[in-house]
Amino acid sequence: MIETKNLTKHFGEVVAVDNLSLHVNRGEIYGLLGENGAGKTTTLRMLATMLQPTSGNAVLAGYDLVKNPEKVRSSIGILFGGDSGLYDRLTAAENIAYFGRLNNMSELLLQDRIRELTEVFGMEEYIKRRAGKFSKGMKQKAAFARSIIHNPDIMLFDEPTSGLDVSAIRNVHEFILDCRSQGKSIILSSHSMSEVEKLCDRIGIIHKGKLVAQGSIAQLQEQHQGKSLEDIFIEVAGGGK
Amino acid sequence: MSIKHIWIVFKKEVRDIIRDKRTLITNLLIPIILMPILVYFMGGGMEKMEKDIENVTIALTEKSDTAEIRSLLEQNIFGDYPNVSFNGVVADPTAAIQDDVVRFVLDVEEDFAAKLGEGTPYKIFVHYDETDTKSLSSYGILTQAIQEYSQKQVEQRLIDMNIDLQILQPVSIVPINEADENAGGNFMLMMIVPMLASILIAVGGIPAATDLVAGEKERATFEPLLTTQAGRMSILLGKYMTVTMFSFVSVIAQLIGLLIGGLMSPSFFTMTSPGGQIGNFNIPIGALLLTILILVTLGMVFAAVELGISTYARSFKEAQTYLSFLTIIAMVPGYATMMLQPDDLQLYMFFIPLLNAIAALKMSLGGLINYTYLGIALGTSMLYVILSLAAAAWMFNQEKYLFRS
Repeated sequence: MIETKNLTKHFGEVVAVDNLSLHVNRGEIYGLLGENGAGKTTTLRMLATMLQPTSGNAVLAGYDLVKNPEKVRSSIGILFGGDSGLYDRLTAAENIAYFGRLNNMSELLLQDRIRELTEVFGMEEYIKRRAGKFSKGMKQKAAFARSIIHNPDIMLFDEPTSGLDVSAIRNVHEFILDCRSQGKSIILSSHSMSEVEKLCDRIGIIHKGKLVAQGSIAQLQEQHQGKSLEDIFIEVAGGGK
Repeated sequence: MSIKHIWIVFKKEVRDIIRDKRTLITNLLIPIILMPILVYFMGGGMEKMEKDIENVTIALTEKSDTAEIRSLLEQNIFGDYPNVSFNGVVADPTAAIQDDVVRFVLDVEEDFAAKLGEGTPYKIFVHYDETDTKSLSSYGILTQAIQEYSQKQVEQRLIDMNIDLQILQPVSIVPINEADENAGGNFMLMMIVPMLASILIAVGGIPAATDLVAGEKERATFEPLLTTQAGRMSILLGKYMTVTMFSFVSVIAQLIGLLIGGLMSPSFFTMTSPGGQIGNFNIPIGALLLTILILVTLGMVFAAVELGISTYARSFKEAQTYLSFLTIIAMVPGYATMMLQPDDLQLYMFFIPLLNAIAALKMSLGGLINYTYLGIALGTSMLYVILSLAAAAWMFNQEKYLFRS
């Protein structure tokens, strides 16, 4: 469902992502593990067509990233960490509908889908209220709904739990697992070992833009004499050096 | 690019801004409330000042306080000036003037009657305050009354000597006004409206432009938006239409405020007009339409520039800082041409952005229409729209500006 081939991104002299090749299957969570500035966000921005690769390419849900970015966008949902990215002066329903309309959903289908997601995320009480006065949890649920309103086959999560408290983190984790159970292909970027260990089927460790190790946790441990993920990370990523 | 997406973005942005109380208060309520208050007090202040200048108070020095001098002043010199009143006698003219007890203190030579009889000049000393606007302005009324009296005395002497009065006037001036009859006399409007309208159109979209890109970046709503199926040009054009619309909403609000103020205090618009009349507007429909189009294109140029700057800015605050410079840039030609009259307009002005809109407005309000000039202004404005929009689109597609951090 996601296949990248030598995906590379330069910002001037800086090589942010260097010949990244990976694949993610349907119903699989692929964890992109790396320190701040390792190239995780740049990779996800390229996959979301926000940035154009300097070289290399990717195929997402059968669509060529470079040749068919609009079709790629129709197949992906994205969720960022930190701020939920909702429009405060719009209601939750309006926020969700805006993204549905921009993803070419018909009005009939859109309203059905909003009703469905309102039920799924238990947003009945506040779906018609403006997002500016929501609690963090309420905002989070509205952001989840918005990201999957068009029922994408692929989900990209960019450090989705950064800055969240324990219960909010649990909500995010449940949402990610739920997406997997629906058969979506998922890339989760994170710098949290425990999160990656808990959620991911396979892991790619990215360091200075290069994929320095990848495989399931069991495979990685086998390659590194049974060490913990943290030790493996320190070993391959050079402890931040 | 999809018209459907442009419309979706536009509708959402308009709804979002309409719900923002701060923007509504700043762009709509404040101009509609503040402008009439400003105009009312400026117009009222001018009216009061004019009345104060007309009402002249005079006192005499102690040594001039004689029945003969009083009769000279009250009946002969100021008899035809009902607004001139005499407020007794003062011992210290300097203190009386500086303490604003009276506007003038007159000191007439005691032997004026004898000198008048002999045909030799006598003096009237006028104490006044040149640093006081009212005193300085009223001084004209005072000297006019004295000169009229002096003229009468001269004429009487010539009559007594059987000399024709025409000897006093070897040449006379006959004024012939050759002004175009379509040229209006709306001096205040010609001064204020082009300056105000062009500046407001130029800066009216700033709050929306700041919010729509830099604000979205800061609130983390921008990146999710870019991952929808809407192309960048569709997103940009939806936002562009919003900024353009709000720049005009702001202008309309200001002009409504100005109109309400004008109704409350008509003297504001006539205060520099000869005769104090608001001339009839007589703008041909073609010129009016061309001028409106030129103003619309001006709004479109600035909307594109503002969006480009907002795209470049890393944060809301940074965008505000950059855009405040744009306000200054817009104000310079506005104020620089404020006193310019329609017949002072030069061809080159119709080629320069912003200046061409000001020139077109002045030309139309002044009634001296030159369609070639207006056509040039519209043509160049449309070219600037294309260039500015192309620049904004280029910025919007530059990853290094869009994702600056």
